Parts: sequence; C-alpha cells; structure tokens
Amino acid sequence: MTTAEFTPRAMTAAAARSSAPWLTQVLLLTRRNLVNIFRTPEAVLPPILISVFFLVIYQSTLGTAAGFIPGLSGKAYLGFILPLSIVSSSLAGAGIAAQNLVKDLENGYFDKLLLTPISRTAVLLGPILAGALILGIQSGIVVAVGLILGLDPATGPLGLLAVIGLAVLLGTGFAGFTVSAALGSGSAAATQSAGFLFFPLTFLTASFVPLELLSGWLKVAAQINPITYVLTGMRSLMLDGWNVADLLPALAACLLLAVAMYALAGYALRVRTRRK
Amino acid sequence: MSTKDIVVDNLIKRYPGGVTAVDGVSFTVQGGQIFGFLGPNGAGKSTIIKILTTLALPTEGLASVGGYDVVHRASDVRRIAGVALQEIGLDPTMKSTELLTLQARFFGYDDRQARARAAELIDLVKLNDAVDRRVGTYSGGMRRRLDLALALVHEPDILFLDEPTTGLDPASRRDIWDEVRRLNRQLGMTIFLTTQYLEEADVLADVVAIINQGKLAAQGSPAQLKAAQGAESINLVFTSPQVAQEAVALISDMAQRTQVDRDTLRVYLDHAAQAIPSVVNRLQQGGFNPISLTLSQPTLDDVFLQVTGQRMQNEQAQPAEAGAAPAAKTRRRGR
Repeated sequence: MTTAEFTPRAMTAAAARSSAPWLTQVLLLTRRNLVNIFRTPEAVLPPILISVFFLVIYQSTLGTAAGFIPGLSGKAYLGFILPLSIVSSSLAGAGIAAQNLVKDLENGYFDKLLLTPISRTAVLLGPILAGALILGIQSGIVVAVGLILGLDPATGPLGLLAVIGLAVLLGTGFAGFTVSAALGSGSAAATQSAGFLFFPLTFLTASFVPLELLSGWLKVAAQINPITYVLTGMRSLMLDGWNVADLLPALAACLLLAVAMYALAGYALRVRTRRK
Repeated sequence: MSTKDIVVDNLIKRYPGGVTAVDGVSFTVQGGQIFGFLGPNGAGKSTIIKILTTLALPTEGLASVGGYDVVHRASDVRRIAGVALQEIGLDPTMKSTELLTLQARFFGYDDRQARARAAELIDLVKLNDAVDRRVGTYSGGMRRRLDLALALVHEPDILFLDEPTTGLDPASRRDIWDEVRRLNRQLGMTIFLTTQYLEEADVLADVVAIINQGKLAAQGSPAQLKAAQGAESINLVFTSPQVAQEAVALISDMAQRTQVDRDTLRVYLDHAAQAIPSVVNRLQQGGFNPISLTLSQPTLDDVFLQVTGQRMQNEQAQPAEAGAAPAAKTRRRGR
C-alpha cells in the first residue's frame, strides 16, 4: 500500500467531518435499503404471490356464494374480498423493513452506523420508508390482478388509490411492531416470528363475511381488531362509494396502530442504542 | 494539550453482577503517536476501546478523545475519530464503492465529493479489482482493508484499530503496517492500536501499554519496557540437557541468574556481549564445549510474560487464512 497517492485533506475542509442534514441522512438510508431489497428479491416476492394466490382462490371458490350473503346481493364478491387480500399483503410485507434492519444488526453494519454522526431516527426510518414504498408497489400489483379478474370499484381509480394508501399506512404502522421485535431481539428468527401476528389480525376479523354476520367471541374479537375497520373502509370504497362514516374509522384505526407501534419502536431503539 | 490526544483518567468499568472489567486505568496518548494497547483476552482491552469510541459508558473516571469528553460529547468524538472494530460490520449485499460513498455522505460530503473520496480510498487499499463485486464475496483480508478505508473516509484525527491484522496472512499484515505508519507519519494521525501480535506492537508503536486484569501493568516505549525487563542473555547449547545442567555450577557466580531449558543454558547478565569471552573461557577450562552460542535482547514477549504472568496467545500460531471468502460473518451486539 505504498504506491497509491493519498492526498491528505483533499476535500474542502468544510465538507469533511461535519454531518449530512437529517433529511439527507433519511433519504440516503432509504435508498440504500431499497437497493438492498431489490438485490434480495426473495424477501419481497412471497407476500405478493401469497396475496395474489388467495385473491384468485377466494374469488373462484367463494365468488359464486356472494349472492347468498345478505347485504352483498348484486355486488361482486371480488370487491368484498380484494381488501382482505390487500390487507394480508400489507401485513406480511410489513416484515420487509424489519428483515432489513435485523440483517444490519446481525452483520454489524448497524454498529458501524452508530459510529458515524448520523441520527438514530434516520437509521430507523431508512428501512421503514423503503418498506413503505415496497408496500405501495405490492398493493398496486394486487389491485392490478383484481382489475384483470373484473374488479369494478364504486369509487373508480381514485378509490383504488385510496385503498392502496390505506394499505401502505396499515402496513407501515404494523412495520413498527416487527421493527421493535428486530431491535429488541437482534435476531432474524425472532423477528420473523413476530411477523406471524398478522395471522390473528387478518383472520380474527370480518375476513370472509361482513361484521354483522359474525357472532359470539369472533364478533367481539373482530370489533376490537383494528383491521376490521380498515377492511370495512376499503370494502365501502369498492362497493358503495365515498362513505365518510366508513372511511374515518379506517383511517383512525391505521393511525392509532401506527402511533402505538412507533411508540414501541422508539422505545426499542432507545434501549438498543443506549450506551451501557 | 493537542487536539489529537487521548486522555484516560482513572477509568473504571463495572458490569452488573460485580465484574470489574476496568479498574482505575489512566494513560495519555500524545497527538501523533502510535499507541499499542496489549493485554490477554478479558483483560479489559475491548471495554476500553468501546468506551473511547462511544459504544459504551464508563462507570467512573474520565476519558477524552481529541479534547472531547466521550460521555458528553460523543457526537463530536465520532466526527473526529475513525474506528475499525475487531468485528467487521459490512453489509454483504453492497459494493465497496457504495459503502464508501454512503459513509462519506454521512459525514457531509456532497455526492460528487463522496464519489471522489471513495475512488481515492479504493486506490489506497487496493480494492480496484473488486469494486464491482458485492462485499459478501470478499476474502478476510479484503474486508479488513475495506473496513480500514471506511474508518478513514472523513480523514479522522485519531484512528482506533482493534486488532487490525488478526486473521490476515503475513503479506496483508505487512501492507496494513505500512499503511498505519504512513497515515501516522504523513497525516500526523494519532493511532490507538490493539493487537494480539507483540511483534506488531514492537514494530509499530511509539508507546506500548499492557493491561492485565483491568489494571495497567506496564507502559513505555518498547525499548524502555525491554530495558526495564533487565538483563540480556547468553544462550549456550550443549550436547545434552545433563551437560547444560552441569555447566550451571561453573558459571553461576558470573550471572544475575541462569536458566536451563532442555539442552540450552541461558545466562542472564548485564553487558552480555563483553562477558562472552570470560564465560566461554571459564567453560572451556572446565571442559565444557558449547555447540552454539547466541546473544538475546529481552523481547516484548518477555515483558508481557513478566507483567501478566502469561504468554500472549496466538503469538506462535501464524494465521494462514488469505483466500477464503467467508460469508457474512454474523454477530450480535451483546445485550
């Protein structure tokens, strides 16, 4: 290493050894996480494939039964079941941010980031924003498949965008939970396990029939489950139109989940990066 | 006080459960020095390096790096210090240029400057042939070099190198040594270095400190430490251990002490070179003819043995690893 010419302080003194503005840090880390995701597509594909698979299965097995469900008469079951498919892809895809983060924790790059003067919140937001973008693409794909299957939303293209927006919001909120698990455990296996919470969330709700048709403990669980309100809001967009009474609870459920999960994630980040 | 100094004053680190990893350590590294920090495993070396690089907090005492208190001015310390930890934290899916450019951007370079800086450092650590490959495919030596480059991105005043050559083949070790010397001489960078190899400390360090059981056991230049260790020795090899043993009686009055190691008799005394004729004379008069005679200066290894009561681990075992490409080494931050 004696041949290379190394010019000390080659860069302007002002640039060296300061730190990038916070927003730049966040964008840099988001871009890095996106590159990472595209280089390991095996993490992204399963949630999309599973959602599309279920959408097709639900539609072809349950679609003909739609006429027998009161309140759904005359309306296509596809518009009813698509939100479930989108919600499950959002919740499954929420793991992407956490998987990226846990990779950094395991390979030690996270510690390397802590040794730079960048903000801890930027380190957390990078994978989350990259994950949110992927969630938008995922939901878009599921919606596109729905359109191919003959989906005819009551609110038109804008309604579809609203559905995708809710899906991204929901998935990103839930990502706060899996990210907390990643920060808390530092282990990929534990993070993956935490992601399985999406099963009860997706199925202890008005998954296949409207809330009114549920009874007993399942109805109670569904009423507590925030996913129920998100599903109701999305279904209302698909089947009825712009119905504020359905949309506000959906939005509120997403935001409430996000606030709670990010409080947890913030705490987990503080514990993880606290010097001992 | 120079802005490149490291000052550690009565540093104490206790872990929950009563383990005292660092027990009242004080030392000063002058700006522009290469400081070799040695100690057996578990002596407190890595705890101190973690405190100095702002990854851990001291229980008591003060430590400052470049004039910044490591507890209260951690972000300033991170700005002026470069750190290459023993466990190399690299994202295996990224390429070296990407990692270096990103690191430069973190430190406030704009995109163009960051790319220029990355190219400069790739040249410096000779990774030009590997820039298009993901870091996951790099060999151990290449990863070390990239890690060193990452630590240098922001042209730090003070560089922490935690066992920078562990696991490297001799040629790569020598490359790193050359580089460390050059950074130190040309840029006046203060270098805080821990190592498993006493030879490395001997060759590189201006000042060596040895820590043992959480306390500083010795400190000084390699030459001072070796001189303080005491006498040189004349090493005489005989035809058998018995003969060597018999020869002891003949010359023990001339030596500060003697030691028989198999067929070798070591005669410790001051000004050994001048004493050779009289020692040989005495032996020949007694009918002893040594097969060979060598003269030894005390080594850093002797110093280490003296102050820690043990030989440095791995000193004999030269690392062989060079070409193997380990997959992303997983590690987890201790909770």
